[in-house]
Amino acid sequence: MTSFRYQDEYTTPPARQITPTTIERFEHVFEVDPSLMTDNVAQQVFPNWDTKRIVAARWDHLAWIHTHFADSVISGEELLRSLDD
Amino acid sequence: MTAVLEASIVEQLVAAIAPVLGEANVLTSKTARYSRARVPAPFPVHRWAERVPDLVVLPGSTEEVAHVVRVANEFGVPIVPRDGGTGLTDGAVPERRGIVVDVKRMNLIHEIDLENRTATVGVGISMLKLNEVLAQHGLIYPDNPASYPCSLVGGRIGTSGWSLIGSRYGHSRDLVLSFDMVTPTGDIIFVGDGGGRKISKSSSGYQLKHLFMGHQGTLGIATTATLKLYPKAEAEFSAFWAFDDYDVAYKAVGALARAGIATFAGAVLFDEKKVEYLRRDDEAYIPQPESVKALVCSVGYGNSDEVAAGGRRMMRIARDLGARYMGDEISQGDWASRHDRYATPVHGRTLSGQVALMSWHCEDAAINYTDLPAVTREWHAIVEKLRRKHDVFDDWGMFAYTSSDTGVDYLTEIDIGIWEEKLDDTTWAAFVDAKREIAAVSLKYGGSISACHGSCREGEVDLVPQELGGGYDVMLAVKRALDPNNIMNPGKYGLDRAYDNEGDRR
Repeated sequence: MTSFRYQDEYTTPPARQITPTTIERFEHVFEVDPSLMTDNVAQQVFPNWDTKRIVAARWDHLAWIHTHFADSVISGEELLRSLDD
Repeated sequence: MTAVLEASIVEQLVAAIAPVLGEANVLTSKTARYSRARVPAPFPVHRWAERVPDLVVLPGSTEEVAHVVRVANEFGVPIVPRDGGTGLTDGAVPERRGIVVDVKRMNLIHEIDLENRTATVGVGISMLKLNEVLAQHGLIYPDNPASYPCSLVGGRIGTSGWSLIGSRYGHSRDLVLSFDMVTPTGDIIFVGDGGGRKISKSSSGYQLKHLFMGHQGTLGIATTATLKLYPKAEAEFSAFWAFDDYDVAYKAVGALARAGIATFAGAVLFDEKKVEYLRRDDEAYIPQPESVKALVCSVGYGNSDEVAAGGRRMMRIARDLGARYMGDEISQGDWASRHDRYATPVHGRTLSGQVALMSWHCEDAAINYTDLPAVTREWHAIVEKLRRKHDVFDDWGMFAYTSSDTGVDYLTEIDIGIWEEKLDDTTWAAFVDAKREIAAVSLKYGGSISACHGSCREGEVDLVPQELGGGYDVMLAVKRALDPNNIMNPGKYGLDRAYDNEGDRR
């Protein structure tokens, strides 16, 4: 069971600059550098759980699409290795 | 701009239609009408009110559609078919107002023929919903646009849609065997290869199926369709490769498309500008090294052993040309996302680099393989000129995607971010000029103005007579003969000229 602590959810982890225009706060979740979103778009306060939920939902959706179109997915990495066998 | 119909005429239309369709299926509310006024293609939103229909109807059968069309003829009111409303050339936009016929209630699966491998459906069904049912029988209807979750079978007929896996299974025109059609005068006809509902090849009579596909709603409304089914694939293979050089990537996509692999379902070439765009915002590409200048994707579907063998051959072809495989996570994730591009949130950059909410405009053409590099250069130059002049546009790069299993021609697309809220008459006119220039380049290289989206919108539509030559005169004659009152989706494809001045009044 997990509990919701307002302070935790609304305090984002420190940002790491990935590229000149991108930051990373959660592992493998990239965000546009907030300094590029000052003139034309407003920033929204976002709880951490919602960021994680959106990312997880996207992966769920992509997995569903694979299953929808085919029964299995063949690994390119395995095929590549087999070229040298 | 067409004037709004007088309230008394709207009342008469409702009185004539409601007894047959039911009052609940004749909508006059502002919300019902405004939400059926546009398609996803960006346009100057300050002119939204110019294209709002006078009423919306939701028929439940072919006979009900025919009744609505006959009433429209009687009153001389335009009628516009609307399916998913996902088309990008304004086919479903009621440019002259009138009656929008929304087909979504006609969404039943009437028959699944397991022996002959066909399904007969109401055209208001989406491919996704149909395939959820077909999967229970191990079957699939493989018409697979980038709007897959939201576009409908009827819209695919009206636009003669292009499919992401068309190089393997064909496109809408190959997959739709036959359909019932309500003509612009309210007659009900059957259209197929010859007279049989489930015939894939006939040599009897004129081949009318292609005529009644891709007309953007100007020749009638399809209502019930019989579709060709395939076994649901046992396996899928998708690979994305990175290249340090566009020219090598170009060679690779050609080699993959020409390899004659039976399970080959498509190959895509992404140019440097597209990589630059992906590197801004796409999780898969942000961490990629600067040396990546172009991408190639190739996919296969079919039986497991055949897909594995085909995939292995694709891997060898790409590796021999110096490609770097980007890994299973990126390859599989990126490919899956391509079935659902309409769900992609989009934002672009102004010249200063600041983020602005932009809508996605994709200008496409059918271009032969040998002309792809030249067309790519010229299109980017046009968009760059536009962008420098008006800071509401952004170049989101280009891709070229095989249309067939031999690699002869490619759906070639340049994606342009448009800050839609900022579009005014001046910037819209500049954009239309750019669209016309882009279409002219396609024709200069012997291509077609559109492989996928259609060529009805301002700008490119001006060049359709040039592209089709004498064939355009045949279009005018067909339109005049089938739609004597210019009722059916008037204003599209420049077909008003079939009526001299009379048609302009509608």
